[in-house]
Amino acid sequence: MKKMILISFYMILAALTALAINPRDMSFSPIDFDAPEPERWVTDNGMTIFFLEDHQLPVVTATMLIRGGQVYDPAGKSGLAEITAALLRSGGAGDRTPDQVDAALDFVGANISSNASKDALTVDMSTLKKDLDTVFGIFTDMLIRPMFDSAKTALEISNRKDRILRQNDDPESITRRVYYETVYQGHPYGLYPTLASMGNISRNDIFSFHKKFYSPGNCILAVAGDMTIDELNSLVGKYFSGWKQSGEKIEPVANAEIKYRPGVYYACKDINQAHIRFGHLGMDMKNPDRFAMEIMNYCLGSGGFMSRLTKQVRTSSGLAYSVGSYNYLRPLGGTYFSYCLTRADAMAQATTMMMDIIREVKKNGITAEEMEIARDAVINSSVFEYDTPSKIVTAKARLEYLGFPLDQMEKNIENYKAVTLEECNRAAQKYLDIDNVAIIITGNKELFDKPLETFGPVTEVSMEIK
Amino acid sequence: MRQILKLLTGIILLLPAVLFAGEDLQFPVEEFTLDNGITFLVVERHTAPVFSGYICVGAGSACERIGDIGTAHLLEHMMFKGSQEVGTTDYEAEKELMIKEDSVWAKIDEAMQRTRYIRLNEPDKLEGHLQYIADLEAILDSLSAAGSKYVVQNEFDQIYSRNGAAQFNATTGYDFTYYYVSLPANRLELWFNMEAGRLLKPAFREFFTERDVVSEERRQSVENSPDAKLFEQLIGTAFIAHPYQIFWEWQSEENNLTRDDLQRFFDSYYIPQNISVAIVGDITLDEVKEMAEKYFGRMPRGNEPEPIYTVEPVQPGERRVTLEFDANPAVSIAYHKTSFDDPEEPVFSIIERLLGEGRTSRLYKSLVLDQQLCLDVSAYTFPGNNLGDLHNNVFCIDAYPKEGVSIDRVEKAVYEELGRLASEPVEENELTKIKNNIDADFIWGAYSNMGLAKNLARAHRLAHNWRFLSTARDKLLAVTADDIMTTAAKYFTKENRTVAILVPKEKGGEQ
Repeated sequence: MKKMILISFYMILAALTALAINPRDMSFSPIDFDAPEPERWVTDNGMTIFFLEDHQLPVVTATMLIRGGQVYDPAGKSGLAEITAALLRSGGAGDRTPDQVDAALDFVGANISSNASKDALTVDMSTLKKDLDTVFGIFTDMLIRPMFDSAKTALEISNRKDRILRQNDDPESITRRVYYETVYQGHPYGLYPTLASMGNISRNDIFSFHKKFYSPGNCILAVAGDMTIDELNSLVGKYFSGWKQSGEKIEPVANAEIKYRPGVYYACKDINQAHIRFGHLGMDMKNPDRFAMEIMNYCLGSGGFMSRLTKQVRTSSGLAYSVGSYNYLRPLGGTYFSYCLTRADAMAQATTMMMDIIREVKKNGITAEEMEIARDAVINSSVFEYDTPSKIVTAKARLEYLGFPLDQMEKNIENYKAVTLEECNRAAQKYLDIDNVAIIITGNKELFDKPLETFGPVTEVSMEIK
Repeated sequence: MRQILKLLTGIILLLPAVLFAGEDLQFPVEEFTLDNGITFLVVERHTAPVFSGYICVGAGSACERIGDIGTAHLLEHMMFKGSQEVGTTDYEAEKELMIKEDSVWAKIDEAMQRTRYIRLNEPDKLEGHLQYIADLEAILDSLSAAGSKYVVQNEFDQIYSRNGAAQFNATTGYDFTYYYVSLPANRLELWFNMEAGRLLKPAFREFFTERDVVSEERRQSVENSPDAKLFEQLIGTAFIAHPYQIFWEWQSEENNLTRDDLQRFFDSYYIPQNISVAIVGDITLDEVKEMAEKYFGRMPRGNEPEPIYTVEPVQPGERRVTLEFDANPAVSIAYHKTSFDDPEEPVFSIIERLLGEGRTSRLYKSLVLDQQLCLDVSAYTFPGNNLGDLHNNVFCIDAYPKEGVSIDRVEKAVYEELGRLASEPVEENELTKIKNNIDADFIWGAYSNMGLAKNLARAHRLAHNWRFLSTARDKLLAVTADDIMTTAAKYFTKENRTVAILVPKEKGGEQ
C-alpha cells in the first residue's frame, strides 16, 4: 500500500513538472548566429560573384541577377522582357537546339529557369555536383549565346497571347491586375502585356533586348554548394571569360507618381465572393521609415494571426479566410494595400470593417505590447533568412543589386530593434492614406450587401481583352 | 520512481540507421517509440541554429463519414485555437460557456430540421418558428461574445511568432493531417510544450466563427477557381464509393458540424499509435528523447481506429462530366490505379514522370511543343501524397487547349501518347533519364530540414517504417520497359477513364 502511494506521488510529481510551465511563460535567449560570409569578387569583364562553399549535399545552386526587367519594355512592346527571358531557356543556346537543351538538362535532373520580373532579370540553376560542368555550360550559353530559334519564338508569342485570352478566368488574378493597373497608372509597374503589344514584338527586338541587358557588367552571380572556390574560378574562366560588355547605357526609369482617382474600380465577374483590394502608392525601398512601418503593419495586417485585420475580420467575425495588408517596398515606388476575400453579401461589411481598423490604427496607433510581439517575431525569425547557403548568397546578391550595403541584413535587425512605439505610430499617421485609396472589387454587384457607391465614385473596369 | 524508470526503459530504441541517397550521401536517422506508441524520427543537422518539427497524424478527410464531411479540416483549424492552457485566461469558465453554446446549437439544429414540416403543415406558425430560430441564434452570438472575454485571441500563433517561427502551418490531406513549423534551435522545448498542449488537451474555442472561416476557404479555393471546380467534378465522377470522391468538404455538411463531431473524430484518430513525428535540425537526440518522454509520455494510448473497408469497385465504362464556368476550356482525365504498397505502384511513379516531368516529358513534348495543341499539360496522382496513398487512387492529366483547338483533338492526342506507352517499349535512354531524376529528387528532398522531416514522418505513417523512403526508391529503380507496357495496357483503357470538361458558360437559358 505504502509503495502504491509512493508511486502515485511520483506520478503526480511527474505530471506536475510536465504541466508546470505555460508556453506563454517560457522565455529564451536570442539565437547567437554568425552566418557564414560568402566570398565576393569581380571578374575582369565586370561580373560580380558571390560564393559560399557547402559540402553537406552533392548539389550546386546558382542565381544570376541581371540589371533589367519589364520596366524597360519599349513603348508598345510590353512583354518583351518576359519573352526574351523565357526564350533564353526554351529557344536553344550555344550549339544546342531547343530540344537538345531540354534533353541535356532533363537527362541529369537539372533545372534552369529564366524570368523577368518588373525590376530584375534572373536565371536560376540547380544541379547535382557530378553534372556541374555540363549544366553550368548550358547556363552560360543561355546568358551569352541564346539562339532565339524562330519557331520557338513564334510559339512563345502565340502561347503568351493565349494566356492573355485566359486572363479573366480567375478572380484573384483579375483583382491583382486591376489593382496595379489602377494605382500605377502611367507607370511601367501598371503595364501588362496585351494581344497588341505581343503582336508588335519581333525576333529582332528580342535580340537587341538581350544584347543590351544581358551583359557581364549588369550581372551578379550567386553560387552555393559542393565545390571549392578554385573550381568555381576555373568554371567561370572557362565559360564566362570571352563575354564582352554590351556598352549600352540603361536609362533610368522614373519613379511612380499618383495619377489615379480615389474611388471604387469594379471588375464584374460572376462569382459568389467579393475579392477586395484597396490601397495607394507607398514608400520606396530605401525610405528610413520602413522599419517602423513594417513593425506597425505587422500588427495591423501582415503579421498573420496576430494582426488586427486577421483577428477582427477572420477570427472574430468569420468573414474571411484570406485577409491582411501588405507594405510592398519596390525600387521605383512601393504600394500599401489591404485585401480580403469574403462572401458576396458581406462585401460592404468587410470593407467597412477593414477601413475602420486602419483608421483606428492611423488615429490611435498600435499598443506597446503589440509592437513588442511584432519586433520579437521579426527579429527572432530573421535566422531563417540565412538557414541555407543558397539563401545567404542570393540575399547578398540582391542587396548588391538594389544598391544596399552588403551588411544591410544585419543593419536591418539593428534597425528593427531600435524602432520605438512613437515611430510606429508616426508611420501609421504619415503613410496610411486611407481616404485616398483605389478600391478594387471583383465580383457580382447584384449580390453585394450595399451598393458600391458607398465607398466613393464607381468606375466599371472593362473586362474586354485587348 | 518505478513508474518513471519503467517509462524510460519503455522507450523502444532502434539502432541508428542511415538513410542513403545517391552514392555518397548519408543521414543518420534515429528512431524511438514511446510506450504509448508515438514514434519519433530524429536527424541531427548542425548547419544553422534552427530545426523543423513535422507531425503526421493518421487522420485525413477520407476517415470522415457521410454527414460529417469536413470534420478533419475544421478540426485542423481548431488545433490553432490553442489548448486548455494557451489561448485562455480561464478554461473552466470558457468550457461552461462552450457547453451552453453547444446546447443552443442543438436546439437551432433541431428547429431547422422542423422548418420544412411547419412550412408544409402549419404555415401560420412559420413566422413564429423562424423568429424562434433567430432568437436562438442571437443567444448563441451572445454566448460566443461572453466566451470571448476569456479568450486570448490567436495566442498559439502569437507565441510561435514571437519566438521566430517560420513555415508554421498545417495541411489536411485525404489519409493524413500534417502540423509543422520551423523554429530557432533553442526553442525545442517550446515546440514540445506547444504541440503536446494541443494534442493532449485541445480546446475548440471560437468554434462557430471558425466554421464560417472554413466555408469562406471553400468559396475561395474551390467555388471560384475554375481549375479546382473542374477537379471536384472529375473526382466526384471517377469515384462512386471510396471517400476519395470528395475533393473538398460540402458547405451543407460543414455548416452543421458540431464540437462533438470534432471531439469524436479527435478521440478516434489523434492517438499516439497513430502519430509519427520527425524533428530535423540543430538539436540532439538526447534532448529530443528527454522532452518526448516529458511531454508526450503521458498521452494515453487509444483504441485502434476503424479501418476504411471501402474499395472502389472496378469502373465498368467511361464516365464523362462537364462543368459550365465563366472561364476558357480545359479538360481533366482520371484513370483508377493502385495504392502505395501495390507492386505496380513504382511502375506508375515512372509513368507519371515519363508523361509529365519536364519539357522532354511525352505529353509536354507532344501536345505543347510539337503539335502545339495545348498551352500547358500536366500529369499527377490524386490524392498524391509524394510517397503514395493508402488506398487505390487515380492518375490524372490536365490539359489547357490553345485558342481554337477542340477538346476532342486534345483528348485524342493524350490517348495516342498513353497508347504508345502500352504498345512501344520505352527506350533505355529515356528510362535512364527518369532514374537519374529520381536520384536527384531524393537528394534535393533532404536539402531543407522541413523537406527531410516531411519525408520521414510521412514514410513512417504510410508504411509504419521510415525506411520505406529508401525501399520505395529501390523499387522505382528496378522498373523495366516491359513493366511499363504491361501496366499501361492494363490501366489506360477507355472503360477505366473519367473525363471532365470545362465548357465556357453561356449566358441565358436553354438554346
